[in-house]
This record gives sequence, C-alpha cells and structure tokens, in this order.
Amino acid sequence: MEEKKPLSHHKQESEEQHSSRREFLQKVGVGSVLLSAGAVGFQTLRSLVPNVLYESARKFKIGLPTQLSEGVTFIEDKQLYIFKEGKSFYSISASCTHLGCTVKHTKLNQPKEVEIHGEKKTITSEFHCPCHGSKYYADGTNYAGPAPRPLKWYKLELSPDDGQLIADMGIEVEQNFRLTV
Amino acid sequence: MQFLNQLTALYKKLTWTWNPGSDKEAGDAIVKNVLLHAFPNKVSKGSLSWKYSMYLGTISFVLFVILVVTGLILMFLYVPSVERAYSSVKDLEFVVSFGWLLRSLHRIAAHLMVAVVFLHMVRVFLTGAYKNGKSVGSNRPLNWIIGLGLLLMTLLLSFTGYLLPWDQLAYWAITVGTNIASSAPVVGDKIRFFLLGGNFIDQNALIRFYVLHVFFLPMIVVFLFVWHMWRIRKDGGLAVVDQEALTQKPEKVIPVKSKTYSLLGITNGSSVHVQTTMVNEEENSVASIPNLTRRLWLVTLGTIIVTVILSIIFRAPLEAAANPAVTPNPAKAPWYFLWLQEIVTISTIPLGFVTINGALIGGIILPTVMICLAVWWPYRDPSGINSVGVWFAPERKKQNRIFIIICLFIIIFTIIGTFLRGPYWNFYFPWEAWPTMPVKY
Amino acid sequence: MNHKTMKQKLEFAAKDKLYVSIAGVLFLIVTGYISYDYLTPEWKEYQSEFSDVVAEKFGEERAATIPAGLQQIYVKDLNLSDRCITCHQAVEWKGLENGHNPYKTHPAAILKSHPLEKFGCTTCHSGQGYATDMNSAHGFSEHWEDPLLGKELSEFYVVSNKSAMMQVNCNKCHRFDKETKGMDVINRAKQLVNEKGCRACHVVNGRGGTVGPDLTFEGEKSPEQFSFERVKGFASMFTWHTAHFKNPKELVGETIMPNFGFTSNDAQALALLVMSWKKTKLPVEYIPSNNFKDVPTTEEMEKEERMKNGPGAFFVQKRCFVCHSVSSLGVEAAAQIGPDLAMAVEDVQSRFGRTLDDFLMKPTGTMEVVLSTMLPLTKEERLEAIDKLRNAYELKKKEKLAVKK
Repeated sequence: MEEKKPLSHHKQESEEQHSSRREFLQKVGVGSVLLSAGAVGFQTLRSLVPNVLYESARKFKIGLPTQLSEGVTFIEDKQLYIFKEGKSFYSISASCTHLGCTVKHTKLNQPKEVEIHGEKKTITSEFHCPCHGSKYYADGTNYAGPAPRPLKWYKLELSPDDGQLIADMGIEVEQNFRLTV
Repeated sequence: MQFLNQLTALYKKLTWTWNPGSDKEAGDAIVKNVLLHAFPNKVSKGSLSWKYSMYLGTISFVLFVILVVTGLILMFLYVPSVERAYSSVKDLEFVVSFGWLLRSLHRIAAHLMVAVVFLHMVRVFLTGAYKNGKSVGSNRPLNWIIGLGLLLMTLLLSFTGYLLPWDQLAYWAITVGTNIASSAPVVGDKIRFFLLGGNFIDQNALIRFYVLHVFFLPMIVVFLFVWHMWRIRKDGGLAVVDQEALTQKPEKVIPVKSKTYSLLGITNGSSVHVQTTMVNEEENSVASIPNLTRRLWLVTLGTIIVTVILSIIFRAPLEAAANPAVTPNPAKAPWYFLWLQEIVTISTIPLGFVTINGALIGGIILPTVMICLAVWWPYRDPSGINSVGVWFAPERKKQNRIFIIICLFIIIFTIIGTFLRGPYWNFYFPWEAWPTMPVKY
Repeated sequence: MNHKTMKQKLEFAAKDKLYVSIAGVLFLIVTGYISYDYLTPEWKEYQSEFSDVVAEKFGEERAATIPAGLQQIYVKDLNLSDRCITCHQAVEWKGLENGHNPYKTHPAAILKSHPLEKFGCTTCHSGQGYATDMNSAHGFSEHWEDPLLGKELSEFYVVSNKSAMMQVNCNKCHRFDKETKGMDVINRAKQLVNEKGCRACHVVNGRGGTVGPDLTFEGEKSPEQFSFERVKGFASMFTWHTAHFKNPKELVGETIMPNFGFTSNDAQALALLVMSWKKTKLPVEYIPSNNFKDVPTTEEMEKEERMKNGPGAFFVQKRCFVCHSVSSLGVEAAAQIGPDLAMAVEDVQSRFGRTLDDFLMKPTGTMEVVLSTMLPLTKEERLEAIDKLRNAYELKKKEKLAVKK
C-alpha cells in the first residue's frame, strides 16, 4: 500500500523514528531476557551452595584429663589421636596429608633412633597410612611415601566450665605444643 | 591450519556420524529424523492464531520444562528418606537460597500443568481436532489417545510428587488416594501392597513414589510427548489446517522440491504432488522461523512469568510432619482427584446383603469407563470432515454438549471438593466460616 | 503476493515483537524482585542491628567478630537443627544480660548444665527451629504445633509464672524426678498428684488404678481427640485441660471425676504436667536419673577407698597391686600373679637367699624386668617400699598370732 502513495518527507522521517524506537524496544526486551536468564542461572547455582551445615563440630569435648588413659587414644569419628604423657597432652590428626586416609598408629618392636629436622630422637611408634604407604614418625613428621607434609597438630585446651579436655580441630599448632594439666 | 581441519573433522563426526551414500539416502535420513522436524518449514496463520489453539499444548510443554529444570535442582536438595524428607523440605523453605522459589515453582507448575493439559484436551474435543481431515496418512485418533496417555501421566506425576514432602497433607492425601486402588475387586489390595511396598505408607512407599516421580514417569512423558509432536507433523499439522484447505480453491501447481512437509509425504509413500493441497499457501502461511519461534518464545516467557508470579503469591504449604497416628480434619486427596472423592462419598450403594463401596464405583469403575469411552469415541464420532478444526461446529452440537456437561461436572465437583468441603467432609458455602480446629496451645 | 497480506503479516510480527519485549521486561522485573528478596531477608536486619549494639557497647573490633549469615545449632542426637541464634546472637555473649530480645544474654547458670550444643534452643523453648523468620520461628504460624512457650503465650493464657509453660519441656527429661530445681509449677503439680491421690483412679507413669483413663502418655494425644463443644474461649488442649481440672463435670457430663476445687494456678499447673507426659525419644545420657551407670555398691566403695587411701596406698599408687596383694595392709591384687607381699621379708629370703633390702635394690628375674621398664622406682621410693613391707610383715605376724590364740 505504501508504494501506491508517494510518501511525504515528513512521513518518512516519522516512519524512521518509529522503526528506530521499535528496534530500541526490541533490544530492551532481548536484553532483559538475557539479563534475567543470567540471574536465574546464578540463582540456580546459588541454591546449591549450602547455607547451613549438618557436620559435627570441629571443636569438641573429650572428657576429663584424669580419665584419659596413658599413651594414645584414638577418636575414630574425628580422625584424631590424643596423646597423654603424664600430665602433658597433645593431639595429632590421623588424616594422611596425601589424600586423607586414616593413618594407623603403629608401635615399633624396638625403639628406633631417627633424625628429625637435624635432631636425634628415639621413637617407639610411627604412623602408617594404609592407602599409599606414607609413613610418619611419632611426632607426625613424614619420612616415606607420597605424603607431602607432616601430620597436622591440633590445639587442646581445658574447658573453663567443667575442666574437660577440648580438642579444637579448627586451630593448628606447632609440633612442640603441649597442654600441661 | 591442520589443527583447524582436525577440529572441523571432529565437529563433523560429532554432528553427522554417518555419511549418506546418495541424495535420496540423505533425504530419507532427514525425513526420519524427528529432531529436525520439530517445526514445519512454513506454518499457516490459522495454526498460529491465539483463538484456535490457545497454545495450551505449548504452555503445558513449557510447564513440563519448568518442572524438569526445577525438579533436577530439587533432586540435589531433597532427601527421599522418612527421617530426612520433611526436614529437607523445611530446609528448602528456610535456609536454601531460592529454595522456597524452587519448591513453589515446582508445585505451581505441576498444578498448572494438570489444569492446562485438561484444558488442552477440552480444546481438542471442542474443535473436533481428534478427527482426520483430508490429508493423507493422518491418524489423529491415535494422537488423541497419546494425549490421553499424557494426561494420565501428568496426573500420576503430580500424585507421586504429592507424597514427597512427607507432611500431614502429603501423607493423608496419599493414604486416601491409594485406598481407592484397594477397592478394585479381587486384586485391589494386592495392587496397593505393590504400589506402597507394604501395607502402610512408609519408607518403601516413599522411595517407590520418588523413583516413579523423578525417573520413570518423566521418561514416559518425554517419550509420549515426542510421539505426540511427531504425530502432529505426520497428520499434516493442526486440524485447523485441514479446515483452511477446505475453504481454499485447489489449483494445479507445479511440484516444488525441498519442502519439509512434502518430504514427510515420502515416508508415507505418497508423492510430492499429492501433498500440495494448500494452493494459495503463500498468502495464508508464513515462515516458521522466525514467526512461529518468536511466538513460542512469547508463550514461554508468558508462562514462566505467570508461574513465577503465582509461586510468589501462593507459597507452597508445608503442614506438620507426617503422623500416621493423627488424621487431619478434613483429609483430602490432591485437588484433581477431589471430583472423584466427591463421587466416592455419595456412591456407596447397599444392595441387599452386599454393599458396593463407593470407592469402587467412583474411584475405579467410573474413571475406567471414562477412559475407555474417550479412547473409543474418536473412532465412532459420526461428525463429518467439515467440522474438523473449527470451534463448536454446528454438526457436533450434541457431542459437544455432552462433553461440556461431563467437564462441568468434573470442574464443579472439583471446586466443591476443594473449597466447599470442610471438617468431616461437611459442606460449607464460601461465606460460611469453617469451625476452627483445636490446637495444642 | 499481494501487498495487503504482506502488511497483515508484518503487523502480526510487529505485535509479537512488542509482546516479547514487554514479556522480557516483565521477566526482568520478576527476577529483580526475587533477587531483592534474596538480598534482604529479615534476619539480616537483626544481625546488623546486633552489630550496632555490640559496636556501641564493646567497640567496633568485637563487632567485627560476630559471625554473619545463617547460623544453626545442630544436635545430631536429638535430630535438631535450631536457627534461632541467627537472630538471637547474644545468647552466649557476656555482658548483655540486661539487653532486650533478641540482643540479650541467656541466663548463664541454666546454660551451664544444659549447653547449647547438647540441647539447642527448641528442646526447652519450643518454637520452630527450622525457621528463619520471626513469625514462623516463634511458631505462631499455621501448621506448626509447638509454638514458643514464652511471654506471649503466658500472657495469652494469663499464667502468672512466666516460665511455667516452658516447664512442660523440662519435664520431658525430668519426668521421673520427685522435685526439680527451677521447675516450681511442675513440682507443685507433681505434689498435687500425690496429695490428691490421682493414682486411685488413673495410671500415672505406669502405675495406678484403672477407674479413669491411663494418663501415662496423656500429652501424646492430638487436640482432635478432645471435644471442645463445652469449652469456653480459645480451643486448645491447654484450655481444655485447665477447664477440666477446674470442673470436670462441666466438660464431660458423665464423668465421675470429683471436683477438687483447684485454684486457677493449680489447674494450669496440672494441665501443664499432663501435657508434658509424652512419648519422647531421648538418648540415654539426656535422662537425669538414668540407670545406665555402673553405680558401685557400698562394699565396693569401701574397698576402693581402702585401697586408695589406706595404709597400703603406696603399693596401689606404684601399681604393685596389679600383681601382688599386701594382705595385712588391705591391698588386694587385681590379678594374683605374684606372692602376697605381706610375707615379703620371709619370702624373699627363702626364694632368693637374699635380704629384702638387697633384693629390692638389685632385683633379679621377673622383678628386674618389671622394675626397670614398666614400673621404675627411685632409690627413695625403694627405701620407702622396704620400710612399708617390714611394717606389713610385723602386722602379718601379729595377725597370725592372734589367729593361733
């Protein structure tokens, strides 16, 4: 129909304006859809990031220090070894620093002379990992197998309320850490 | 450069695993490929019209996609165990970011899908679209039956999903629902036992419903849906196209190659020439891309927006945790079964020594008869070719009336059951307040 | 193609394009609303306000240590996850005892015996621990049966003792206590149960008469099981029980339960008591008077005391008692592998041909191994041991003489 009537200059211009407005509107529409789709994508992924956890606490009570038996105590569900030597206490993680298997505390048949960090020591036990054969000295220093680091040491403290021993697996400590009761 | 060639070769391998030996072979391959035939090349304006199809099928498909997407995410967050199910749904409501929305969307989309699929069926009946027109090789009655299958699957999907939150609403709705199955003669109890994996709704029932809900039923729906679409193409498009063909003057035209719908004809053994019934199609049809695809985008967006808004307004309820010891008052089946529950409560008939359980009549016999009738009817429908693809064709007055009356019954009973039945299944008018149920504190 | 159809085609396409654009914008608005809702939950306001409170009172530095985001106490044993501390962040914070809720320190004494990590919040307070908005969390929303048993509810039911309602929950664990500190209302009700002889007709806690219904799990009943036709006021189990205790006949016409003329307070206390009688699944360690302990008999206690602090305490401390008894000093060997040390003075001489002094300073055989590796003794300790063993020998000799006579 347009072709039958010669269009006036003015009319043509308004037609152009019209079409540019239309194009703009279309861009807004498509842009909105893309933006919303992005937001929906974010929301979807966000919903899979948990806000609360049902994990057991990293800080927990073990019991009264006097009731703990001498030597080593293994807390299975936390992968943690607690050591009692008379009045001093320390704890070493049982999680292998290679890939996280639980290392086994192994008593040696005979005391062994080893050199750890240039210091000569006599050890009576070691940690052995069942998965890939990593080995650690009694203080958790790795000496064989794929383990890249020594076993972690965690902080021990006494509860001010009831005097129970508290292990805090959120705080790592040095190998010379001892809690003296 | 060589790397680029390798990349192209890899791409070709991934997209086109087989090299056709001849042009005909290539053509056949395309013809047989369902994915390449989701859309026709050209689409008639009648098919595009809002008034004719109301896009109810498209909407139900979009709803299904919403359900699949939200459902897949919900599967990461929901735990199908008696101990954890309820609390995982509570977590969705309270601590999972957007969890409430996911759940609400899934629920609203499910309810809408039941409604829209039902309306789609009503539309198809009232436009006589389950009947074959002039085009060769069409088998619309079969597609009507596939559609009925999709409706049943939709209901089952919704029903199996109903149990999963493991709250009082879920538990008792499924108790009521599955007890209908046990009223079937002879095998009823066994069916229920098999369905629940025991005599009571417990862990076995939960996991059965879950697996059905997230895997088997959706798979069946996907299969039936693809078949449904494939049949539409094979039937020569929507029924309205046949109607358009009738009103147009047929003219002899030179066969045109490379028309998708003509190629479809080849699969049915007819020639290109025969299929070209729509002579002035240039005037009456437009290219599917972008006209149809744009429409579909519009419908998709519209459906999503409506579903989201409804899910914000109507938050999904979660009652107290499932408690087999306490039946809430009233305990209702899911709303789309309430017309049956309504019939169930009035259809218990004492016959001398025996009393026929209402559940048998209302819950088993009636639905079975209705489904059988629906399957049988397209083959018996006497209405002629002129009534295919038009709303309320005068020729179909009688059957349309009967159909509408049945639908109205279902709708009215559903409304009564959902909104007007209060505690002890007593009838309450909308302006009458239900008695408040006592609480602990 | 004629131009008219061409134009019609264009018109419909243009309209569709417009609609798609509008829908796109609408979609953006809806997504925007949802994002806004996500960024502004109710609890964030409480957390920022708490941070202000702490900053004002303790300085910015302490305020920076307050954990942000949803917080929960998860008690695996009770299958409980309470998010109350998301807003009630001051619960374990010292120095806000006089603050107002939710920025108030919880009374410390009760928390000491009922630590948060073991009990959570809702175990005692009720309410909906899952929830993260105030209305749902306090449980006054539809479909939550256990609302917060606090001030609001006490005021609603005009209960004079503000902690009375909560004592229902205390009694879940303290059910079999005769009297519990801090549970005045339930204590009073328990006293009434005995005074008025409820057991004449009812089974209470598993014993009593069968004239009236068994009340052992009365609290387990659902409200639907009560008839509220004659109950005035708010239809709740608590109302029913209170009214029923005040005047049984008024609620249940055919009842033979006498009217005891309870005061309002007593009737409420009794209502709370019967409502606390639930089938609660509790881990053994939560029950205050549980029998899952190895309680020593008086005899065993005496023996342990004698071993630890009696005249033979030295041999117990040094772990000699693992193998040896010292009969005259009251030390009994755990595993009687070695000879009685009461006769050591004679015994060593006859076995090794050496004096006790000599042997203990330079032991041979098993004792050499034991004293060098497992139980190392210093010289002083060895001397002390010798001294004590002589003493024991003297006592033993006297004993023998006494027996002969």
